[in-house]
Amino acid sequence: MAPLTINDVRKSYGALEVLHGVNIDITDGEFVVLVGPSGCGKSTLLRMLAGLEDISAGEVSIGGRVVNALQPKERDIAMVFQSYALYPHMTVKQNMGFSLKLARAPKQDVRDRVLDVAKTLNLEDYLQRYPRQLSGGQRQRVAMGRAMVRNPEVFLFDEPLSNLDAKLRVKMRSEIKQNHHRLKTTTVYVTHDQVEAMTMADKIVVMNAGRVEQVGSPLELYDRPANIFVAGFIGSPAMNLIAGRIVDGHFLGSDGTCMAVPAPAARLEGQEVKLGIRPEHLVIDPQGHPAEVLTVEPTGSETLVLMQLAGHEIVGVFRERITLAPGKPLSLSLMPDHIHLFDTQTGLRIPLSPEN
Amino acid sequence: MSGKTSKLTRPGLPGWLILVGSALLVLVCLFPFWWMVVSSVKTLRELYTVPPIWWPDTPTFQNYSNVLFQSNIPRYFLNSVIVSAGSTGLALILAIFASYGFARFKFKGKPLLQSMVLVAQLLPTAAIIVPLFITLRFLGLVNTYWGLILVYMIITLPLSVWMLTSYFKNIPVELEEAAIIDGASRLECLFRITLPLSLPGIASVMVYAFVTTWNEFIFALCFATDSSVKTLPIGLAEFSTEFNTDWGAVMAASVVMTLPIAILFLSMQRLFVGGLTAGATKG
Repeated sequence: MAPLTINDVRKSYGALEVLHGVNIDITDGEFVVLVGPSGCGKSTLLRMLAGLEDISAGEVSIGGRVVNALQPKERDIAMVFQSYALYPHMTVKQNMGFSLKLARAPKQDVRDRVLDVAKTLNLEDYLQRYPRQLSGGQRQRVAMGRAMVRNPEVFLFDEPLSNLDAKLRVKMRSEIKQNHHRLKTTTVYVTHDQVEAMTMADKIVVMNAGRVEQVGSPLELYDRPANIFVAGFIGSPAMNLIAGRIVDGHFLGSDGTCMAVPAPAARLEGQEVKLGIRPEHLVIDPQGHPAEVLTVEPTGSETLVLMQLAGHEIVGVFRERITLAPGKPLSLSLMPDHIHLFDTQTGLRIPLSPEN
Repeated sequence: MSGKTSKLTRPGLPGWLILVGSALLVLVCLFPFWWMVVSSVKTLRELYTVPPIWWPDTPTFQNYSNVLFQSNIPRYFLNSVIVSAGSTGLALILAIFASYGFARFKFKGKPLLQSMVLVAQLLPTAAIIVPLFITLRFLGLVNTYWGLILVYMIITLPLSVWMLTSYFKNIPVELEEAAIIDGASRLECLFRITLPLSLPGIASVMVYAFVTTWNEFIFALCFATDSSVKTLPIGLAEFSTEFNTDWGAVMAASVVMTLPIAILFLSMQRLFVGGLTAGATKG
């Protein structure tokens, strides 16, 4: 267990810079998820923490010790790969004990430690099997076991669940979370799946195009996204965004729809803005704005409705069982406390009240 | 899924035609070997009989006793084993390190170096015999085991390097990265992870290098003129003199010469065939 600091870290391949100065502070025992679309540099950053990629500029320190120049084995980290990367010619037991064997630990210690970890992961019955004889979930557990055996300062996960089917993914998600709860080891977890990020993280780092867009707790990111990118990336279905401007203290959509917005927006008079509203913050209201239903997707617990409003296709989520048909008109209003405004030029969120 | 596919008809040629075709092919391939074995147990008179005798009434082992007890063949056999095993071992060790470098590292001039390795393979034998001979004489290696071993290593190394490079490339890099995280050095990665997973590739290289050197004739003829280092192919040729050829002895010696290759091939067959196809598909 150790804090991990990433200080103005850059990565370039020749003249091409792919990470443009990343700063992240991770406290002892924290579970941090790096999330972003593919190609945003999150995996590269993780590999730099592991020591598999050189750090072009900046500093990474683990437990107060700068590790830039250290070999992976000197960094006291363990990594779980997306493809598990289990050694196919070794049994589960040998796979899990490999790092201790390389470290020339006494055989009895290796055996005890492997058995210990295997017990916590329910793998005792599989110790003599080879990776090809295991199911996806078991392989995933062996990969985690291999990391846990060494009792490292930091765990690194590189999209560990993306090879599993949906059901198993949910199960393994909670297993990883439980393990973290028990071991309290500092963890950095990379994923492109924002649901994984929301459900597992103590702290989420949203990355895009080699930059950190926002760092914060899952609900912080959800309730107060720093910019349009985070607003669109966190949350499923994504936040609806409507382009327009502020006129006379009201939001005027590009098609002429006029909507009420919280009073502080008056100071933005004339400014081009985007109005953001989450799907669950739309209310069916006879006094609301006219909209047209495009498709209806009932899931049982809720109903997803794709609608046309103010010249934009927007999604609404309704908990009540409503009967709607495509092509029918609908009246909608926006919950005023949940309206976000973003500066169209900079993409940044404009705070509308002191506390948000 | 298998239940569904079994109902589908197989595309292509009908099964019986494939069976007949393969049987014919096997027959054509094996006929020389069968003729070699049959001829080795015939008397000289029976060998020249027309029409040919398919199986002699009283098989004789006189040819074998001639070859094994009254010729230099046993000595040549030993020489062949030493030279082939030596050059195969040396080529394998060098090829492993060269291929690992080519497969895993990026460095300046890699494409050039890789193509240079192949160029060596493209030179015609006749063109390099004289330079090699001069070099060997200068080094005092003519008529020595080391001379032949080094020459054979030069012949087999290029293709060995290419075969192993493509084999190593097919082993996921992540396995080595995982090993590095686990605390392995580069050499430990190579010997504990990559090599054990490359056994089919190594078997292919071994069989290729061994068979090539075991059968090699021209270089052995030029660089090993003393009977203390002559190899089996030269020994076979010695049964033909200006005036006659002892075909029975040649056939018996051929059988003796074929046996080690057959044993090597059969023992590594599973690995070898796997090695030939493993490059094509993943896993």
